[in-house]
Amino acid sequence: MIRASRIARTTGLLAVLVVAALGFILVNPGIRPRPGSGFAESSERRPKASRQLVSIQPMMPMGGEMCEWAPASGFARLAASWHGVRTAQSVSARIVSAAADSDVSVEISRPPLRVISDRNPLFSAIAIEPESGMLMVTDQNLFQLLEFNRLDNTPPHARMTEPKRVIGGPLTKAEMMCAVYIDPRTKEVYVGNGDTQRWLPVFSKDARGNVQPDRFLKVEGAVAGMAVDEQRQELFVTIEADKMVLVYKKTASGNDRPIRRLAGEATQLEGPRGIALDTKRNLLFVSNTGNAHSLKYDADITKSPVQIPGTGRFEPASITVHSLDAQGNTAPLRIIEGPNTQLNVPALMAVDEERGELYVANNTGHSVLVFKVTDSGDVKPARIIKGPKSGIKHPSAVALDLKNRELWVTNFGNHTATVYPLTANGDVAPRRTIRSGPADEVNLLIGNPGAVGYDSRREEILVPN
Amino acid sequence: MAHPQIAAFARLAQGNIPPTRAIAGQAALLSRSLHDIRYDAINDEILVANGHAQAILVYRGAADGEEAPIRIIQGSKTMLNDPDRLDVDPIHNEIFVPDREGKQILVFPRNGIGDVAPIRVLKGPATQLERAGALVVDPVHNLLVVGLPYSDTGSSPPAGSLLIFQRTDAGNTPPSRIIRGPKTGIIRINQMAVYSPRKVVIAAQPGKIEEMEPDGAFVGVWSLDDNGDVPPRWKLIAGPKSTMKKPRGVALDPKNKTVIIADMRLNAVLTFYFPEIF
Repeated sequence: MIRASRIARTTGLLAVLVVAALGFILVNPGIRPRPGSGFAESSERRPKASRQLVSIQPMMPMGGEMCEWAPASGFARLAASWHGVRTAQSVSARIVSAAADSDVSVEISRPPLRVISDRNPLFSAIAIEPESGMLMVTDQNLFQLLEFNRLDNTPPHARMTEPKRVIGGPLTKAEMMCAVYIDPRTKEVYVGNGDTQRWLPVFSKDARGNVQPDRFLKVEGAVAGMAVDEQRQELFVTIEADKMVLVYKKTASGNDRPIRRLAGEATQLEGPRGIALDTKRNLLFVSNTGNAHSLKYDADITKSPVQIPGTGRFEPASITVHSLDAQGNTAPLRIIEGPNTQLNVPALMAVDEERGELYVANNTGHSVLVFKVTDSGDVKPARIIKGPKSGIKHPSAVALDLKNRELWVTNFGNHTATVYPLTANGDVAPRRTIRSGPADEVNLLIGNPGAVGYDSRREEILVPN
Repeated sequence: MAHPQIAAFARLAQGNIPPTRAIAGQAALLSRSLHDIRYDAINDEILVANGHAQAILVYRGAADGEEAPIRIIQGSKTMLNDPDRLDVDPIHNEIFVPDREGKQILVFPRNGIGDVAPIRVLKGPATQLERAGALVVDPVHNLLVVGLPYSDTGSSPPAGSLLIFQRTDAGNTPPSRIIRGPKTGIIRINQMAVYSPRKVVIAAQPGKIEEMEPDGAFVGVWSLDDNGDVPPRWKLIAGPKSTMKKPRGVALDPKNKTVIIADMRLNAVLTFYFPEIF
C-alpha cells in the first residue's frame, strides 16, 4: 500500500516536470538548440524582459596565473559543513587550531607562480694569464667559475660564447665569487668568496665541474678583493665589512693565519673592496665605498674586530694608497678622493706598473677611471672609458693584459666581458666582447638577495642586493 | 661584484624582465649585503639598514636612480651596532632594529632624523636576545617577534628560535612565548613578515649558513599564540617542486594571496600562491 502510494506520487511528479519543461521550451523558443550545433540561434532571440540564453562560448584555455587547487581550502569547506562555520575567516582559524592540535605541519610543496631570475651567467671578477691566453671570469648569478680564451669574441647574432671550462657546485666552496686570481706559473685559480662564504678555494688548471678545491684557506671575513705579490709570495685580501686588509702567505691553506693586517681608524679604510699592487713602487691601492664605522681590533689578528656602536658615518668614495708593507693602524700615504675623481661606488682595480697607471672599475659611474699611481687628492682621472659605444655598464672588475696591451672589463650590467686597447680613452668600442647571454636579454642586476619587500601601492617587488 | 642597489620589479614580472626602477649610486648611501627591506604603505616609504655605516635609511616610496634617503638615523646616540635587519610599525610610528652584538632591540621614532637616541631598549639576560638577527612587529596585536640563529656551541642538532615579546616591552623583560625545539625545524631565522588578520608570522628558515644548498630549508608559518616546541602550521619546503634552495627573504601580498620569497642560492625572487594563510 505504501509502495503503491510512492509509485503514484513519483509518476505524478515526473508528469508535472515533463509538462513544465515542454511549456518552457514553447514559451522560450530561443533556447532551442540547433540540430548538430552547440551554439544558440541568436536570430531566434526575442526581446523580452525575462532571462534568455544569449550565447555559449567555449572556456578560455587554462594557463598563466590562476588559483591552484589547495587541499587546505577543501578541508576548509569540509570543516565548514561539519561545523556549520560560515565564514572563511573562522574556518581558517579552525584550521590553525587543528594544525596545532595535530602537532604536525601542513607541508606545502608547490611550484611558484612566478620567478624573477636571470638564467645567464653574470660576470663579476676577471683575471687574465697572457702567456696561455687563459681568461677566468666569475659568475655571480649561477655561482660558477668560467674559463674562456682571451681571443674569444661572441658573434653579434650568437646567443653566447660557451666557456672552455666550468667549475661550480656545492663541493667547490665557491659561491658569491667577488675576486679571482691566476697563478702565472701553475695556472692555479684562486677564488675570493664574498658575503656568503669565508673560504678562499684554489683550483688546479685541470679542475672542472662540481669538484672540491685542491686546497682552501679559511679567511677571517668575506673577501671583496684579492691581489698577489708573486715576488714575496703574499696574498692580499680586502674584508669590506671589517674594514681591513689581510695578508697571507700565498700558499696558506686551512686555518693558516694572516701574516699581517692593515686595519684601524688611521688607515681610512672605509668599506674597502678593490685592491691592486704596484710592486715596482712598493704601493698598495684600496678602493673604498665610503661606508664607515669604527672598530675595536684585537691584538690577535685572527680575531674578528668588534664594531663600536654609534660610530657609523658616510664618507666620500676614495682610493687609499698605502705602503705595500703597511700593517696595523697606519695612515695611508695618499688618498684619491673628491668630486673631480668621479668615483661612484668603485669596485675592483688593476695597476699597470710600466705605465704607472691605476685602473678602477667605477661601478655606478658606468666607467673605467684611469689615474696616475702618483695621484693624490681631488684629481681628475687621466682617462675615462665610458659611453654607449664602450658597452660599459655597472663594471665590477678590470684586468690588464700587459703582453697584448689590452684592458679587460666585466660588466655586471649587461652579461659581457669587454676588451679595449690599453690606452683607450672616451667612448671607445670594445675590440672583442664575450657575452654570456643573448644581446637583447636584459640583466636584472640582482646579486645575493637577502631580503624582499612589497610596495603595495605600486604593486612592485623590492629587491635589495 | 654585486653593487649596492634596491631594484623594483612589477608584481607580475617573471623571467628576466628588467626592473621598473632601481635606487643605486654613491648618493643613495646604500651598502652591499642589505638583509632587510620594509615598505611602509601608510607613509609611502622604503626602509633599509646599512650595517656597514651603522645607519637606518628611509627613502620615499617612489625613489629612483641615484637618489638620497629622505631621512637617516645614524650617530653616537643611536647605539646602532651593525644593524642588519629592521621593521617599521606605521601605526605607532616606531622603527625596530635588532642588535646581534649588543644582544638588544633598539626602538626609534619612525620620523627620527640624525643622531637620535632609541626611545626604548629591550636588553638583559631575561630577554634571551642572544645574537638577535631578525625581527618583525605586529602592530595590531602589539607583539614583537625576534628570530635567533642557532648557537655554535648549543644544542644538537643546532636550533634557533622565535621569541615573542609584547611590542612595548623594554629593559630586562622575558619573552611572553618562545618557539624553540626540534619540532620547530628552526636552525636560523632570516627575514620575517606578519599577517595580523590571521595573527601569524611567516619566517624564512634558510638552514646553515655555511652550507650552500642546505637540507631542511623552508618558509614556516606559526601562530603568534604558539609557544614551546611547536612545528610551523604550514611549511613551504625547499625542494625540486617549489624550486626553492635557500630562502632568506619573505614579503606578503595579501591582496593576491601570495608570499614573495628571495632565494639567495637561486639569486631569484619567487612568488607563491599561498591562500591558506590569508
